[in-house]
Amino acid sequence: MSVSSPPAPSARLTARERRTRFWQMVQLMPIMAILVLLFGGALVLAILQSLGFAPWFGVNTFPDFSYFGALWGSSTFWASLGLTLYYATVSTVLALILGILLALALVKTFPSKTFYKYLYKLPLMIPYTVGIALAVLMLSNGGMLSRLAAFFGMIDDPSQFPQILKTHYGWGIIAVYVWKQTPFITLAVYAVLLGIGRETEEAAAILGASRRTIFFRVTLPQILPGVVSSTLICFAFNVGAFEAPFILGGGFPDTLPVVAWRYFNDADYTLQLQGMATVVSIGLVAGVILFGYLAAYRRYERRMGRN
Amino acid sequence: MAKKFNIALSSRLSPFQKFYLLVIAGFILGPFIPLIIQSFAFRWAWPDLLPGTWWLEQREKAMAPLAWDYVLSPYSRVWEATVNTVFIGTIVTVICLAICLPAARVLAREKFRGKSAFEFFLSLPLIVPEAAIGIALLMMFIRLGLAGSYVGIILAHLIPTIPYMVRMLTAVYQGLGRDFEEQAMILGASRWQVLRLVTLPMLLPGVVAGALFTFLVSTNIFLLTFFLGQGQIVTLPTLLFSKIAGGTLDASAAGITLIVTLPGIILLIISERFIKEEAFGKGFGN
Repeated sequence: MSVSSPPAPSARLTARERRTRFWQMVQLMPIMAILVLLFGGALVLAILQSLGFAPWFGVNTFPDFSYFGALWGSSTFWASLGLTLYYATVSTVLALILGILLALALVKTFPSKTFYKYLYKLPLMIPYTVGIALAVLMLSNGGMLSRLAAFFGMIDDPSQFPQILKTHYGWGIIAVYVWKQTPFITLAVYAVLLGIGRETEEAAAILGASRRTIFFRVTLPQILPGVVSSTLICFAFNVGAFEAPFILGGGFPDTLPVVAWRYFNDADYTLQLQGMATVVSIGLVAGVILFGYLAAYRRYERRMGRN
Repeated sequence: MAKKFNIALSSRLSPFQKFYLLVIAGFILGPFIPLIIQSFAFRWAWPDLLPGTWWLEQREKAMAPLAWDYVLSPYSRVWEATVNTVFIGTIVTVICLAICLPAARVLAREKFRGKSAFEFFLSLPLIVPEAAIGIALLMMFIRLGLAGSYVGIILAHLIPTIPYMVRMLTAVYQGLGRDFEEQAMILGASRWQVLRLVTLPMLLPGVVAGALFTFLVSTNIFLLTFFLGQGQIVTLPTLLFSKIAGGTLDASAAGITLIVTLPGIILLIISERFIKEEAFGKGFGN
């Protein structure tokens, strides 16, 4: 419906244009200010400090790569990085599988659907710390699963129950992430599923495609945008999460955010620069992985002929 | 062929899906059952499936169940943390809405140079790990004197909430179209009338969804609140963290866990009644 404005004298048009540009800037400014100053400022500060610029500690050897050198040269850093990525990846993949299965079930009609639409969003609404408390209650050696095992006569002492929390296998951490993030991925996928309708699936079914074929060739490509954006967010969160590995993790070597926190709380303040190098490393690793993930997705989109 | 066709198209649940939904219900709700029991227990030794001693049998020693007695007492700081959480969440939501509405309008309707770069920058806070900025932010706030203050925490909460809010509001504006506003103008409505009588009512569902989601994200943020609050400002997540940091869960911790769950349940009921899934979904698609 929008009709382009009739041609006007060029001088007046540019004046008007300049005014609209100005108002656009004014409207975008507050967000820009907050994000650039706080978010960008924090990032720049972290990078500067990790490179030896911290005059307030009496340290200024910028640019100095020795903090990264010391960090990346130690084998515990790589062990920590491995743990961080392992917890993040396994939980994201599990949550993705559970989430897609749940979203596919939710588009069907069934009697208790209203109940389930409340139920599945519950973990989304409550903090991670609640999930951690529940993990302690369920999975610890004196927890509910251990009691159930005793009830069925499988063990007769708490110490016989397999250690789930505070080990480097991290099943407690993964359980919390999966519990909290499955709803997030379900919501994203379910919303896309509602948006696309079922016509293409029906067409594929009429043409004789099996359920498996329909899922992998028709449904999955359609929900992929929701899958990619939600898993990106979950993975990045998991890489930077602090509380679950801190409480449920196996101790030294810790995940990177916990390592950074320990450096930062150390009485020896020069270690804060080491902590900043750790923080920047978290950002770098997450950035490289997410960039690769997005690039792969873009390539796939192009191959499918979508912009 | 006909059978296969029916299965593929069926709008009913397959046996696997029925089973799966039960598993999910157990996975999500199951842990809350022992949590509630724990909060009413007096002594609950291994390997009993139910507490050996309930608080009811110890009534003469404690007026209320131990957990609830503790939760309600000022020592637990539950009331303080609840007020802080709601206060911070509300202020963050109001500020976020105020600065995101105009920006979303521009993003949805105008074209300008550097727009895609701007949009990319807007979504960066979603994918840069909180740990990567939390500690650096604390350094900045210590210099500025904002560490351990409400202003500092509110500013920090804006970082992860702005991207969601902008995305949801931009999607709403895109769906709105200009037609109705133009019609109203043609019919002689003033700018103010257009805003009040046409734009705002049509925007409202999206604004409510965005506000609820922002409030939700804010009340859930742990890391930034923990780092920047410096132990001086407790919210529900940080309070629970310090209670369970030792890795055990006693009756009073169970009580606090239930309290921390409550705002989420209230928000869940509100959002489920008033917001369509699609509105939430708009924040995540593409």
